[in-house]
Amino acid sequence: MKLALVGVGAVGSRMVDRILEVEADTGRAFTRGNALVCDIARTPADGFDAVPEDQRVLLGDTHERVTAEGVEGDLELAADVAGADLPEFRRALDSLAIHESDGVLLVADLGSATGSGAGSVLVEELQGLYDEPLYVLGALPADDDGGTAALNAARALRSVVPTADSTLAFDRETWPGDPERDDDPEIRALATRVATLFAAGELDSPVVAENAMDSSDLIRTLEPGGVSSIGYASTDVEPDERGFLGRLLAWFSRSTDDDEATDAAKVKSLVQRAANTRLTIPCEVSSAERALVVLSGPPSELSRRGFESARQWLEAEADTVEILAGDDPRPRSSTLEAVVIFSNVTDVPRIDTLQRRALDVQAAREGEPASDDDADDARADAASETRDADGVDAADSDSGAGDASDDAPLIEDAEAVADDASE
Amino acid sequence: MKLATIGVGNAGSKIVDRMLEFESRTDRNLCRHVHAINTARTDLAKPDYIPEERRVLIGDTNQKAKGHGVGGDVEIGAEVAKADLDEIRRAFDDVEIHTVDAILVVAGLGGGSGSGGGPVVIDALQEMYDEPVYALGVLPGEYEGGRPALNAARSLQSFVSKVDNFIGFDNDAWRAREQTIEEGYEQMNRELAARLVTLLAAGETDDSDVAENAMDSSDIIRTLDTGGVSSIGYAATQVEDTSEGLLDRWSSDSQRVNRDDGSQATKIKGLVRRAVNSRLTLPGEVSSADRALAVISGPPSEFSRKGIESARQWLEQEADTVEVLVGDDPRENSPRLSAAVLLSNVTEAPRIDQIQNQAVDAQEKIAEQEAVREEQINDLITDDNNDLDPVV
Repeated sequence: MKLALVGVGAVGSRMVDRILEVEADTGRAFTRGNALVCDIARTPADGFDAVPEDQRVLLGDTHERVTAEGVEGDLELAADVAGADLPEFRRALDSLAIHESDGVLLVADLGSATGSGAGSVLVEELQGLYDEPLYVLGALPADDDGGTAALNAARALRSVVPTADSTLAFDRETWPGDPERDDDPEIRALATRVATLFAAGELDSPVVAENAMDSSDLIRTLEPGGVSSIGYASTDVEPDERGFLGRLLAWFSRSTDDDEATDAAKVKSLVQRAANTRLTIPCEVSSAERALVVLSGPPSELSRRGFESARQWLEAEADTVEILAGDDPRPRSSTLEAVVIFSNVTDVPRIDTLQRRALDVQAAREGEPASDDDADDARADAASETRDADGVDAADSDSGAGDASDDAPLIEDAEAVADDASE
Repeated sequence: MKLATIGVGNAGSKIVDRMLEFESRTDRNLCRHVHAINTARTDLAKPDYIPEERRVLIGDTNQKAKGHGVGGDVEIGAEVAKADLDEIRRAFDDVEIHTVDAILVVAGLGGGSGSGGGPVVIDALQEMYDEPVYALGVLPGEYEGGRPALNAARSLQSFVSKVDNFIGFDNDAWRAREQTIEEGYEQMNRELAARLVTLLAAGETDDSDVAENAMDSSDIIRTLDTGGVSSIGYAATQVEDTSEGLLDRWSSDSQRVNRDDGSQATKIKGLVRRAVNSRLTLPGEVSSADRALAVISGPPSEFSRKGIESARQWLEQEADTVEVLVGDDPRENSPRLSAAVLLSNVTEAPRIDQIQNQAVDAQEKIAEQEAVREEQINDLITDDNNDLDPVV
């Protein structure tokens, strides 16, 4: 799937840079450098190797309240700046070949003021500008990132999720790291997942897949919207392309039943590992509405039986019949990789935790204007709920199902907004 | 017979490609016209035998497809094909229909392009030509999951009602083991191609003086005339290589045919029996067939009139019908003697019932999930009291 990438904020921009780097390192071609990064600061971030100078946009450089440090953690200011500089942003977008892309991926750290504030504004802008699907890759803050980050992220989710065609979440609590570091291994891991997923089906491999996962397959999988989570696993194997004699020897040595059984088991457990180990955001897999799995590696390693039973296992695990499965043969690759995307996962404990933290922070802030008549009561409820939840870990998120009926009208409102956005 | 063969979608195109491969390897000339029609540019790059100019990309201007397939969605597959109907008709313009006896549309029913686009293509063909239009449809295996089953169950209805006959191929029955993904599909498609081509290439020249028991196109058309769902059985055996010169062999052939060697008769009857009892392309109750036809293909020296007669009697009993034709298809240089048996309008095919059940379950599941989608997304991103405001 050909993507145009738009990085927002320092971390979002760095994530875009890493994705381009992984793309180049693994010989894939799904963005072909079609990327733009933007930030609100006097000084554009350094240390980007993959994004050329002219594809970096500076927003808010004429805004009176923007300092050399950017928006200094002010989400509203970031949103304001992005809104004011939309013409600038649109002009910069002209350098991207978006109509030749199959989709746009906006990348942002939703815990940062810029990622959350400007990100939300730009998501809305992009959604309005193009017919191509718009996805968001959003980093969600870790507990250590503080309450403000949680509030930024919780509010951004409310803007971004209903507007974007799907929001791929990246949970920094599960994937801790220093976002200021250039060589954050966790960001690199995320970039690997994104590249493996979106590069499948691009004609950048000499061998054609039997069941290529084309962009339409990904688009269809992500169609329900909501939040999505990516799983990934890899294992080292011998590449297929190693000279004729080597291939011949390998062919003879692997044609026994035992080896075949091993190959099948290897593939199945790889897919299981991809779905069970650290997802980009931990979630109840069975709450997914759709899923897609791509098996990538040397063609001789792609065991049909293994992949079939892995797909069947996934159908039971994710409790959905909407599963697309494809192969992505890479003769020169020395890794066997499985990448799984769970689309529209609705049971995500980490998001509930962020919301509780956000409510705490919001309640603690002075002079917060009441949003409705019940606000005081609601805030008290929320605060007590937060206290209750404090000692408990994320697992009690099930309480979401117990929503009292008194907030039904609000949900109806929200639904109307979401309906609007999804059409 | 002589065919115009059209592969729709990824599976269909690959099978047509393997049919051409089998033809060229066995010196047959069944497919006088071929086309591959697909919504995915990637898949259209695959065939080895279908000429470039016969590959038709549809839906490349459709926003949902853009030349990248339809994501296994049968609705979009149909929508895209309908929108590009003119393009499809234009592609058929150069089909010299008087040179073919029938049209065969090949498609997989589990995905989106073949299952959705196939019936649209068939409609266009039925409208344009008087020749019978047949389909070869690949039914997804149970292991492929609920969505393919739902696509197939729906698509099957369209196919069967639109074509003059639907030949089924069941991925479940033919599921390969112990192979890579690539090898698995290759092998299945080759097996299927051998059956299709051996059966349908009979009488490709309709040269009546070749042999008196020769099968011709009208026999095949008559057998397929029942409509419904059909299945093919197949068996082959190596023949001994005679080192005589061509002329010698030819003269001795005619003698041998007349001699009606008892062992040759037994061999032919045994081969037909083996074909029927073998794994059918779509497993089904043989006695539920409406009509049956067996093609014995190989060097004429191996043919036996007595064998054909006893094979016919056996098949009549087995298929429980008097509408049975058995004939031969002389292939002078073939190293194999093979039998392809067509069981036309088989009404008991358990796999179809299974697919329907799986499809009903899948349809319910999909509807359930769609019904709560918006509500669940909102629950996820909204705190319990809706105190957190969106940014914009």
